[in-house]
Amino acid sequence: MSPRRIVCGVSLALLLGAATSAPLAAQQTQPAPPEPGAAPVQVQNPFKPFDRARFDATVQKLGATPEQMKVFAAEIDEYGLSRAADRLLRSILPAYDAAKKGYEDNDPTAALALTKVLAAATEPLVRAHARYTLARLFRDSDDPQRAVEVLGDYIGNDINHSPLDGEVAYFYAQSLADVPLPELAIPRFRAFLQWFPEASERYRTAAQQQIADLERQRESRLHGLADGMSRTRRDLKKGKTDNPVQLDQEKYLEELQELIEMYEEMENQSSGPPSGNGQSSAPANQSALPGGEATVGNLNKRPSLADRWGDMKDRDREKIESEVQNSLPPQYRKMLEAYYEKLGKSPGK
Amino acid sequence: MLKFLQERVNKSTKEFDALADAERAKAGAEGTQALSQRQGRVRDLTRKLAAKLDKDNQSEGGR
Repeated sequence: MSPRRIVCGVSLALLLGAATSAPLAAQQTQPAPPEPGAAPVQVQNPFKPFDRARFDATVQKLGATPEQMKVFAAEIDEYGLSRAADRLLRSILPAYDAAKKGYEDNDPTAALALTKVLAAATEPLVRAHARYTLARLFRDSDDPQRAVEVLGDYIGNDINHSPLDGEVAYFYAQSLADVPLPELAIPRFRAFLQWFPEASERYRTAAQQQIADLERQRESRLHGLADGMSRTRRDLKKGKTDNPVQLDQEKYLEELQELIEMYEEMENQSSGPPSGNGQSSAPANQSALPGGEATVGNLNKRPSLADRWGDMKDRDREKIESEVQNSLPPQYRKMLEAYYEKLGKSPGK
Repeated sequence: MLKFLQERVNKSTKEFDALADAERAKAGAEGTQALSQRQGRVRDLTRKLAAKLDKDNQSEGGR
């Protein structure tokens, strides 16, 4: 075993929490659990090349004037096709424009406004843009699972109408990676690369990097552990502190303890202590908590959507909640109830 | 270190969960938000350690 490998093991054991040093060991795979919200992988490409003529006909049906069509054509070079198409839709649909502006301004009413546009839309093109923006909003709100659901609806119902399809394919994979569900994300990143060779280089490079990172991570127990901690972090953020969360946290300790024991055992089997990294003369038998109360407090404050929500007057919040209850179809109502409930559990200023 | 930090988060989670309803309401969302942030920090450290090991293993494999 090389000295470098042993030195790595020393820092690893200390970082994990062991009292003694140990060498680096090969790590094992810990696959992510299957996720009911994620759509199955489709082998056949469901996306068709963007049909500009159909798009033009749809936006004209929605009320686009010749002048707006001219601006759209001119903006394709400046903003790219998908941004230009979204700007065109904003210019002809005031409700969508207001909702999108709310999203850009971090306005808590944006989710409701976008969902109202979505619920009222009869054209798949409008639904596609509303769903895409709503999914981005959920991702920005640290809710990739809901983003997966919304983008799954886009893929299931609204593809082949908007030039946003490529970005949707990318963000669907990215949201799965954020959950984290690496086993589902990797094939979808691959599909994105295969099906959208003309997509922006930024997204293609990011997808290739994500595949490389995720493949490396799925070989690692430590990455698997970090993935689990991500889920627990999100559960805690939603206000969940009960038994399922605590059991997950206990499992992380067990996993860390197993890794420590594994490294210790490997160290015992090695030929000798690494140069310059001998054991402490009086190591603890096990890592333990110091005395004193653990505290629960706010460690880091920064302005957020939740701050804006907290700053709203009670009557404004009640108005939004009332609209969610009374003006949306059941499938969207449930989604937004959960969204605003989570927003309400996030701290304000 | 990671185990120590995770133990502290676990302990705080249990303590928060054991609070009476009134006390939980008083602590409000900031209580679970802080727990979430602390769990996130342990996650970040775990991820950094794993990434460093990935890098070291790649260097080792390339020799």
